[in-house]
Amino acid sequence: MKMTSQIQQVNRVSQGLLNNNTEQSLSFEFNGKSMTGYAGDTLASALLANGEKLVARSFKYHRPRGIFSAGSEEPNALVELRKGAYQEPNTRATIIELFDGLEAKSQNYRGSLKYDLMAINDRLSPFLSAGFYYKTFMWPKAFWEKLYEPIIRSSAGLGRLSAIEDGDSYDKGFLHCDLLIIGAGPAGLAAALQASRSGAKVLVADEDFLLGGRLNAENHGVAGAAGHEWAASTVAELNSLPNVRIMPRTSIYGSFDHGIYGALERKTDHLASSGGKPRQVLWRIYSKQALLCAGSTERPIAFANNDRPGVMLAGSVRTYVNRYGVTAGQKVAVFTNNDDGWRTAVDLSDKGVEISAIIDTRDKAPLAAPKGAAVMMGGSVINTAGRHGIREITLSNGQKVPTDCLAVSGGWNPNVHLTCHQRGKPEWQDDISAFVPGHALPVGMQVAGAANGTLTLASALAEGHAKASEMVSNIGYTPSNSLAPDSNDESCAVSAFWYVDSGKDRAWLDLQNDVTVKDIKLSHQEGFRSVEHLKRYTTLGMATDQGKTSNVNALAVMADCTGKTIPETGTTIFRPPYTPVAIGALAGRARGKDFRPTRLTPSHRWAEAQGAVFVETGMWLRAQWFPQAGETTWRESVDREVIQTRKSVGICDVTTLGKIDIQGRDAAAFLNKIYANAFAKLPVGKVRYGLMLREDGIAMDDGTTARFSDTHFVMTTTTANAVSVFRHMEFARQCLWPDLDVQLLSATEQFAQYAVAGPNSRKLLQKIVDADYAIDNESFPFMACAEITVCNGIPARLFRISFSGELAYEIAVPARYGDSLFRVLMEAGQEYDVVPYGTEALGVMRIEKGHAAGNELNGQITAQNLGMGRLVSKKKDCIGNKLSERSALNTDNIVELVGFRPVDVTEMLSSGAHFIAIGAEASTENDQGWMSSVCYSPELKMSVGIGFIQNGSQRLGEKVRAVDLVRGKDIEVEITSAHHVDPEGERLRG
Amino acid sequence: MANYTLTASSPLAGLQQEYQGVTLAEVTNKALVSISVPLGGETALQTAVTATYGVTLPVTGKSSKTSVDNALFAGMSRDQCWLFFETDNIRPVNIITEKLGASGYYTDQSDSWVMLSLAGEKSRDVLERICPINLDPDVFLIGDVARTSMEHMGSIILRESEHNYLLCSARSSANSFVHAIELSIKNVI
Repeated sequence: MKMTSQIQQVNRVSQGLLNNNTEQSLSFEFNGKSMTGYAGDTLASALLANGEKLVARSFKYHRPRGIFSAGSEEPNALVELRKGAYQEPNTRATIIELFDGLEAKSQNYRGSLKYDLMAINDRLSPFLSAGFYYKTFMWPKAFWEKLYEPIIRSSAGLGRLSAIEDGDSYDKGFLHCDLLIIGAGPAGLAAALQASRSGAKVLVADEDFLLGGRLNAENHGVAGAAGHEWAASTVAELNSLPNVRIMPRTSIYGSFDHGIYGALERKTDHLASSGGKPRQVLWRIYSKQALLCAGSTERPIAFANNDRPGVMLAGSVRTYVNRYGVTAGQKVAVFTNNDDGWRTAVDLSDKGVEISAIIDTRDKAPLAAPKGAAVMMGGSVINTAGRHGIREITLSNGQKVPTDCLAVSGGWNPNVHLTCHQRGKPEWQDDISAFVPGHALPVGMQVAGAANGTLTLASALAEGHAKASEMVSNIGYTPSNSLAPDSNDESCAVSAFWYVDSGKDRAWLDLQNDVTVKDIKLSHQEGFRSVEHLKRYTTLGMATDQGKTSNVNALAVMADCTGKTIPETGTTIFRPPYTPVAIGALAGRARGKDFRPTRLTPSHRWAEAQGAVFVETGMWLRAQWFPQAGETTWRESVDREVIQTRKSVGICDVTTLGKIDIQGRDAAAFLNKIYANAFAKLPVGKVRYGLMLREDGIAMDDGTTARFSDTHFVMTTTTANAVSVFRHMEFARQCLWPDLDVQLLSATEQFAQYAVAGPNSRKLLQKIVDADYAIDNESFPFMACAEITVCNGIPARLFRISFSGELAYEIAVPARYGDSLFRVLMEAGQEYDVVPYGTEALGVMRIEKGHAAGNELNGQITAQNLGMGRLVSKKKDCIGNKLSERSALNTDNIVELVGFRPVDVTEMLSSGAHFIAIGAEASTENDQGWMSSVCYSPELKMSVGIGFIQNGSQRLGEKVRAVDLVRGKDIEVEITSAHHVDPEGERLRG
Repeated sequence: MANYTLTASSPLAGLQQEYQGVTLAEVTNKALVSISVPLGGETALQTAVTATYGVTLPVTGKSSKTSVDNALFAGMSRDQCWLFFETDNIRPVNIITEKLGASGYYTDQSDSWVMLSLAGEKSRDVLERICPINLDPDVFLIGDVARTSMEHMGSIILRESEHNYLLCSARSSANSFVHAIELSIKNVI
């Protein structure tokens, strides 16, 4: 409901830049209390307008806290925004755009915000100093995990998660530009104007929703207009240009290699509902050049009890009054060590706000004080009073001054963070008492304006303009002749004054983590000399604000302790992200089933209709087995599929195997080098098993390769290695043997391929193979291949190969016919009671037959281990040939692939079991090998396995134990041939 | 003679969707054959292509269009170009072999890819959510082609006209690919 509410907004002193927005108010709720504000407000400005000072409790001591800043550096005013599935903790009130119906709550308190039960921690503060949990809770030891840690965890911390799945969606995207301008303040806008007028493709990103940076917070003029008006007209001009993209509400959170920047765009956070659109978009920006115009962040001065609500950064107090028309107090005092602080007093006074005092640590006043303001030069604030908000300050001369807002300015720190994301180190600049970007900037980056230590307006505008000219000419554009916008430099002198000795009282450095001057001194006293150690011991500079308002002051305290200078003390390393990024945004749309792509086989739709159980193999979904009515366990289904295939015929979708089309005059010579065994003389119309080795002589992959003509081969690889084998071969083709005439194409997707296995497989295929092609045993023997036609002229490839050990074929058709072919095979096979079989039955039959697969080709195994040592032809060279001869791989005691059966046939073997001699201890020293694959063999009616055992081929008939300590099994097994079924291979040749 | 008939099906059953500012449609009338250049055979292949199609072979990243079979040669690598052309012949390699003889190595890719046409003035807005390459109209020109990866799926993108793109990705993950595009459309439009 909208209503006029000027009365409620006790601190709204003007329209600020909200203009017409103040004609209609927006309702919002904070801690259940209804209030109003205007479009263009932040939650923070609206709270201040409504006189809400106490908005949060501190992290450790649960001290009352208020709004401290007006930007993303806010350490205090963290709230839980929205409700239920949309609730977001730790949201900074200073960057939340107000919308009608906004609901926010304070966090980190028990009871009520005003009377927080956990505020007892403040009384216990002597026991809660830096690193207290390392030393207070050491005894008794067992109490740490069960008592101390849970208590500490539940009482400390920031906001809470709703524990409901995030109801919003997120997205990602990619942007490209010639020049990325990070920050749309004076320097950024001047740079954007110049670069865009020069013709460059410019992308301007700013975390604020109103572009202009400090121009919207100050009263300076630019090019004859008010600063904020110049900003608005400049943005309008930029928006009208086709070569410029302006992105408000977008934080550049990281600088990465090759000119790549991470950006978080808050698309709908300013709306009551995202309306089904992504709430935030995480962009990857590819830039040729990047100009950092991120401005600077004001730092406070530390003094006793400087954390009370109402103690704020002076520049922020100025932002609230100039931009939002909101005063942070009715009686404001200013404590400063620089000229800039004085402007807060002037601007507030201009709006009719009473200035109670100006306290400057320096001796000489830079400006005239507003009328009525007491001025204390060379003094300081030494304490504050007020339970839930500041009521009074005590000056160094003992005078007490009533005030409800203390604006503090300790100078400005350039936002150098992004210059450090690739290990750049900032450098100290004495005249502004702050760190500025170092010389080692990320490639393609330059810095302009306050981020570069150029803190005054005319200089920042000029620098932005000049850097843009330089950068666009770096990438081939002629800079426009236009001049930098005209303005004046304001006074900005600063003295190095960091903290006031607080005696017994605590003076806060890091408001977010409750780190005080004393904590830094204590940490030094306890031996923490490195600034990185200091950070971890005291938690200074951690959490959502990453110490933006506290780091330099803490370094100054530490420098005092060590007797070093601040630059000698150094800074901690700034890493991405610059400001918090929600995990949801990092995940983007990769959630649930969209986490990664899914590959479906050509028979998938049919299998799904049959109720097949699927398994993920890589990205593929493969049918694992096909349950039938009455079957209650997977074993029943799998056993039936195996039995029926071996008895009659079964069909399995093997499309997932990698298929590589190899053509060229030297294709045979190429394969001869790729495979360990000989391929040069493979006749046309034949298939051969091939084993390829890695360069180090270890088995890489195996499969079959068919020759369709002198210059044309088709290779199959295992499903898992389809990509890596192709890559390996491309490397070999392009880099090892570029003189060979050979070309590779992946054909995995082109063909639907089905294994048709079992004694009736030929009969079944004869029903669909066109009459022109004879596939009887004589015409088409074991290991034959041919390009044929099926079902009246559809092109197909037929391979007489067998993974199951049965009479078997693989038939391939163009993928468009894959679904249809599977259905036709099932229909044509009805007279043979054909069964579809899945990957489990496939696995059972290959283990029964003793074929190696992924479990065996595990990256440690050689051809010798597989019993294929003689396959590695010594009449030719091939990849891995030489290194397969290494002595350690060829001892008399290497493990060899053999079969295993339980002595007690009721026992079930398990893969991963290790072989131990009977009577020996199950220890590493006695380990003789391992079981790589097991299955229940419906044919043998027992569990069988294959695996590797030392000297296995010479030990057939011997008994050992298969010990599986993980599953608690110790089974006596007999070493057998790996070929449990049809060891002579009569079936597959039949 | 076999008593069974095989029926062809396209990966997305001829999907056609219209949105405000963009249309998404599966392309089902095109064959795709890769043409690899034999070692040392560049001139022979070029001569054959020019004689038959009247165009020069494109360099990597560019394409050449011809009215013969409404064909388009896309330069995919130094020694490989892909030929998109209209035909309903199930043996497209035979067509190419008839035209170009043994001057190249040909592999049918027609069934390896799902082909989608994304057309309309919002197409680049849709693509910028999933396509990492620079689609600035002054950078990725009409006729340009690139291999890239969208949502972890290997893809080929070809700019056919001012706002129209041909997208190809693996047939097996066609559903995931079209989902990625449709989600982008939903998110952007």
